[in-house]
Amino acid sequence: MPTFIIDNKKITADKGTTILKAALDNGIKIPHFCYHEKLSIDGCCRMCLVEVEKMPKLTIACNTHVADDMVVHTHSPKVMKARAGVMEFQLINHPLDCPVCDQAGECRLQEYCFDYGVPHSRFREEKRKKRKRFSIGEHIVFDEERCILCRRCVRFCREVSKTGEVAVFNRGDRSYIGIYSGRGLNNKYSLCTTDICPVGALTSKDFRFKVRVWFLTETESICPECSNGCNIKICVRNNKIYRYLPRQNDNVNDTWMCNQGRLSYKNVHSDDRLTQPLIRSGDKQVPVKWDEALAIIAKGFKGRDGKVDGSHIGGIGSPHSTNEEGFLFRRFMRDAIGTNNIDFAVIKGYKDDMLIKEEKAANPGGAKDMTLWPSNGGHGISDMIGGISTGDVKILYIIGRDLMELEKSEKILDSLGNLDFLVVQDTHVSDLSRKADVVLPSATFAEKDGTFTNINGIVQRIRKAVDPPGDSLPDWEIISRLSKVMGYPMEYNSPEEIMDEIAKEIPAYKDVNYKGIGNQGFKVNSS
Amino acid sequence: MERYLTKNFDVQDSETIKVYLSQGEGYKAVENALKKMTPEQIIDEIKKSGLRGRGGAGFPAGLKWSFMPKDNARPKYICCNADESEPGTFKDRQIIEKDPHQLIEGLIIGAYAMGVNTVYIYIRGEYASQAKILQNAIDEAYDNGYLGKNVLGTDFNIDIYIHRGGGAYICGEETGLMESIEGKKGQPRKKPPFPAGYGVWGYPTTINNLETFSHVSHIINRGADWFKGIGTEKSTGNTLFGVSGHVKRPGVYELPFGVSLKEIIYEHAGGIRNDNELKGVIPGGSSTKILTADMIDVRMDHDSLMQAGSSIGTGAIIVMDHTTCMVRVGCVLSHFYRHETCGQCTQCREGTAWMHQIIARIEKGEGEIEDLDILLDIASNMEGNTICALSDAAAWPVQGLLRYFRDEFEEHIKQKKCPFTDSFLV
Repeated sequence: MPTFIIDNKKITADKGTTILKAALDNGIKIPHFCYHEKLSIDGCCRMCLVEVEKMPKLTIACNTHVADDMVVHTHSPKVMKARAGVMEFQLINHPLDCPVCDQAGECRLQEYCFDYGVPHSRFREEKRKKRKRFSIGEHIVFDEERCILCRRCVRFCREVSKTGEVAVFNRGDRSYIGIYSGRGLNNKYSLCTTDICPVGALTSKDFRFKVRVWFLTETESICPECSNGCNIKICVRNNKIYRYLPRQNDNVNDTWMCNQGRLSYKNVHSDDRLTQPLIRSGDKQVPVKWDEALAIIAKGFKGRDGKVDGSHIGGIGSPHSTNEEGFLFRRFMRDAIGTNNIDFAVIKGYKDDMLIKEEKAANPGGAKDMTLWPSNGGHGISDMIGGISTGDVKILYIIGRDLMELEKSEKILDSLGNLDFLVVQDTHVSDLSRKADVVLPSATFAEKDGTFTNINGIVQRIRKAVDPPGDSLPDWEIISRLSKVMGYPMEYNSPEEIMDEIAKEIPAYKDVNYKGIGNQGFKVNSS
Repeated sequence: MERYLTKNFDVQDSETIKVYLSQGEGYKAVENALKKMTPEQIIDEIKKSGLRGRGGAGFPAGLKWSFMPKDNARPKYICCNADESEPGTFKDRQIIEKDPHQLIEGLIIGAYAMGVNTVYIYIRGEYASQAKILQNAIDEAYDNGYLGKNVLGTDFNIDIYIHRGGGAYICGEETGLMESIEGKKGQPRKKPPFPAGYGVWGYPTTINNLETFSHVSHIINRGADWFKGIGTEKSTGNTLFGVSGHVKRPGVYELPFGVSLKEIIYEHAGGIRNDNELKGVIPGGSSTKILTADMIDVRMDHDSLMQAGSSIGTGAIIVMDHTTCMVRVGCVLSHFYRHETCGQCTQCREGTAWMHQIIARIEKGEGEIEDLDILLDIASNMEGNTICALSDAAAWPVQGLLRYFRDEFEEHIKQKKCPFTDSFLV
């Protein structure tokens, strides 16, 4: 382990560590454009030049390994002059269109210009003209004039998405980033290039010009789209989500996420959200207050004799619910209702070798861990549906609508029509909710706290970023209220309290608590 | 003074193996090296000879060869750099055209010394006919058992391949050349890793200039001491000076290091055209800093030119008489580097273009006096800060011109036009 000195600070790092990495790990700032922790080293931007004693020239910190007794200066006059030089070179042909640039506020050029640049321009020549704001992919707009040719996007597409559609064409000051003919920047992770582009060259068609980034607040959460559980930041202004950004977690998603997950924020604010409890009135469903809806459910769960007969009741949980919610649902069905007819459905779809997983829900692993399945002779989904026609199953309480993506959904819908009583609890209107006697509006992942357990058994926290719309509530709160009305109180102030309960009851989760999960997750031996 | 590199240049069909073998020493060095010397002895001999690279940087060849791993755990390669593209440089072409077998001999000996079985000759794309001549020579060497399997009955195998470039100056930079051989865009690699550990295809590689290899058979034949006796203490042997510009007899001259620039210009190259007044000399190819007429007593070797604030480079001497507009010179040179930079490093991509823009503006009569200091500052921000030396190569001539001919730049600015009547538009 070499010990060396950076800016008078004695540091020890592993052999093979670069000066840049060692500096960043120790809170010493060395500016850089082309270096990215998750990409190969390019060494072309020359912004990270530092002075190493006994070396004749400045050297790039990103490609120089630390060595014993090395003495590095990151802010010497020579270094500062070189940096100012790089900044000047980068800016002479740059359009300086910050007021109308969507990168403003998170632009490395702005940042470093402020820190290392000179306040005036010596450039008297005509600026180089290049192509402006044209589409280079379904989701991405490119501005060649803003591009500083750091080639992060090139390396991302070669090394991470492994699609290789991007390259530098031509040479010298005619160089430009381009796409091989006949192709587009359309890989399933293409929007990551807008994250790693340090300037306003690659921008997201979806996000650009929607909001200035400095008005956004960020909440750490987990992408809800598949069981990989990519770590994200939910970016919000005035209770509205504008984008998700990937958040680094080397055990889960490095610093990447897929386009589909990234753009799924639109589901949260879509027009078809359920915002009020609904009850059936003839052919229609009409809005009611929570108390009324819950009272009707309590009544509906009872038979003609006024008693709850769990053997005719089934509960279908959701792989979108949190662990805490799954846990409460299971306990509600088994203990308050008295049934073992418990199951959940999960939609399957496209998967790849990178991040996209087959199960299209954030928490199927957690649903399994919370034992949302039939036990002691209880029915699974197909038996529950099949049991409707035989009169074996008369009442269903369904959370989510994943069921409808199973084969023969038409047939399922027809069968559900024969139930005595159907409760659907969901975030969005669907064919399923339209069939229900009572519809309970629930919050999406972005509107509540809780945990998901990803495909590799890593328990991760989601955090409330926006308020649930209308009267909608998180699943755990709905179940808790309903349970109370049913005479089986399960009252909690927060999902964190529920997790403490889970830890007591489910062996694999015995060491899980919110503090331990932190922002990087906690591995359990998942079922 | 003996010419050994060019001694056969005037012989009819000197590029053929028939003539080469009939000259007495032909392929004797290969025979001696492979049958009587160990690889270590050869490398020691080259080290002792003081042979320095003829591609511009002047790195000791024997030392470079010794960097190659001694084991044969992985394939190893030699690259022969024949991408001769530095403006003013045309010496390697003469060897290819007139005596390619001495090059092939040097390559065989070098390959044997470094345990290499595959040699690439990277030849600039514009040398189309030269590539044919070279290929003929290689074919002849195969036919005569000097190349291929079991050279001269030994267990040493060697293949030589010619790779023609696509016309980019930057592919003459050693790692840009390797990228190009691999079929990639010609862009220098960041260092480390260095070619001796990570070269062509990621394997240990030694790269030398074509002329460097051409000295090797002579050193093997006649010994390091003989070679050391030619030239100066630290610049040994003869070298090829390519003289161009305003001289009466431009051409390639084989002379020992240490010969005075004055002697080359006035005796060998016949003096200035029309007996005009000498104004400036670029001593070692377009990237080296210009010298003025009163500096031509300088000796042409690495140390002397360094002391004079310039460099021997590739020994390409560009002579300019009093009719030459030095701003125009700067404009032409800076345009060249702007055109040829690969563009990956910020300083080089932007700096070469900016310098050219400013000098072109001055030449057009639209310069400002502040431009001159800006030019020097751009050059200082470019120099030494990039992956390869192209940025330095672009900065040095501008620094040189402004050092000795600043008044001429100022005159352009003052007169708001080029004072040279025959200077053409930029």
